[in-house]
Amino acid sequence: MYRETGVLNIPQPSTEDDPSLLARVRRGDEQAMASIFDRYSRIVYSVALRVLRDPAAAEDVLQEIFMQVWRNPEGFTSAKGNLGGWLTVVARNRSIDILRRRRPSDPVEDVVLASSSNLAAEAERNSLMERARSVIATLPSEQRKTLEMAFFDGLTHSEIAEMTGDPLGTVKTRIRGALLTLRKAFQS
Amino acid sequence: MSDQRDMPDEQISQSFQPSAGQAANNGAAPPHADPEDLVLYAMQFLNREQASATASHLAACAGCREELARVQGDLATYAFTTELESPPAAARQRLLAQVAREKKIVPIIQQVEPAPQAEPTLHTLHALPALTPFGRGGSILNPIEEDEKPRRSAGLAVFGGIGWAIAAGLAFFAFTLHRDSASLRGALASHAGELQRLNADAATSHQLLDALTDPKAIRVALTTKPEPKVEAIGGVTYNPDKGSLVFLASNLDQLQTDKTYELWVIPTDGSAPIPAGTFHPDDQGNASVIMPDLPKGIAAKAFGVTVEDQGGAQTPTLPIVLAGGLG
Repeated sequence: MYRETGVLNIPQPSTEDDPSLLARVRRGDEQAMASIFDRYSRIVYSVALRVLRDPAAAEDVLQEIFMQVWRNPEGFTSAKGNLGGWLTVVARNRSIDILRRRRPSDPVEDVVLASSSNLAAEAERNSLMERARSVIATLPSEQRKTLEMAFFDGLTHSEIAEMTGDPLGTVKTRIRGALLTLRKAFQS
Repeated sequence: MSDQRDMPDEQISQSFQPSAGQAANNGAAPPHADPEDLVLYAMQFLNREQASATASHLAACAGCREELARVQGDLATYAFTTELESPPAAARQRLLAQVAREKKIVPIIQQVEPAPQAEPTLHTLHALPALTPFGRGGSILNPIEEDEKPRRSAGLAVFGGIGWAIAAGLAFFAFTLHRDSASLRGALASHAGELQRLNADAATSHQLLDALTDPKAIRVALTTKPEPKVEAIGGVTYNPDKGSLVFLASNLDQLQTDKTYELWVIPTDGSAPIPAGTFHPDDQGNASVIMPDLPKGIAAKAFGVTVEDQGGAQTPTLPIVLAGGLG
């Protein structure tokens, strides 16, 4: 049975916080890198897969982003927000780059995000997901769809306006309005 | 309904306020970027010129940098709404294998970890001084701290300031060098590992090629067929006048224990074969009959060997396993 070895031998998740793991990665600790991967690979892969809709390409993005962390952990510091959020934004941007067959447009080190969430614990991540989904579910469908087309489908505001027939300004304000709603829900 | 243009103005203004430091410096501060454009910038939807202009503005505007960081935080939160899918199990192995291939050379002097910020929501794209206008945390550039220092003479203060500035510059330079050095060492270690692996592969390929093309090499074909049986052979030296005979044979099959080989002299006059002695081959199949007791004056036209029962026979039993005639 699995009682002695753990369910399917899946390694126990590390309880160490992200800054400590990153400090160990800076010292070349491969086990710390494995812990970071175990913690955030699902969300990074899921975002890439949602954008690219291609498991192989999503896996390539996953590999590239975590190798970026390994090669240059100095590129991410606590001043740039929480690691989980940073990885998801970078995963989305890299996937859009691939979708548009363009070279990476910005150094990932330039991505800075304001977030006080601590996503090191799986419970925190699950809680964030549930809350974010519930907030998005309350948005009007056209606003929700516009944000989805922009973030996950990588359609620019001009392309969305062209597809939906909505004015460009409306598309822009819908996107920002949806994000503001999300922000305010988490601030309250 | 929920478009921003439908929102109360206060909601929009609350979502994007310039920093306190910038508010205090309003005269020199550039006008803020359009918040909607910052969202498009974060989502990488601006064209090259627009993105470049926005980046330039961000470099000079702390308030917009803060707003951009908030937008990135919003986007990160939104990213978590996607349905979770687990990556293939092999992805972890692939990553860790690559990580192992790119092992790091850990510098002897460890890099000093930057102290965590008290407020994780405060972020900028660039240097630490951009964070200080908020007055959170100590800074050597903070005028309040300067005021609290003991008063010194103007000359000492100037030289002291220069000294500190040089020291700070050297420290920054050393840190930059160290960081670059660590990065280069990492890359070097990675390339060295790859080169070592390629060299090993090349050496193996050379050995293989040498083995296949060396003219001194022997080549043996191996098949599943049994090795061809070597034929038994024998030779007789016979002098009829003296009745002397020497028979040597090789490659003879081993016989059952109750059987024996027997040599025969076939006379030319057509009379019955004359037994010339029995024999058993040794382990290598060799045998001999040396000077058997034969009558003199028997002209022979042929010699033969048969297999007989132990003790021998007076008449040969077919088949004849070895035979040879004169002429």
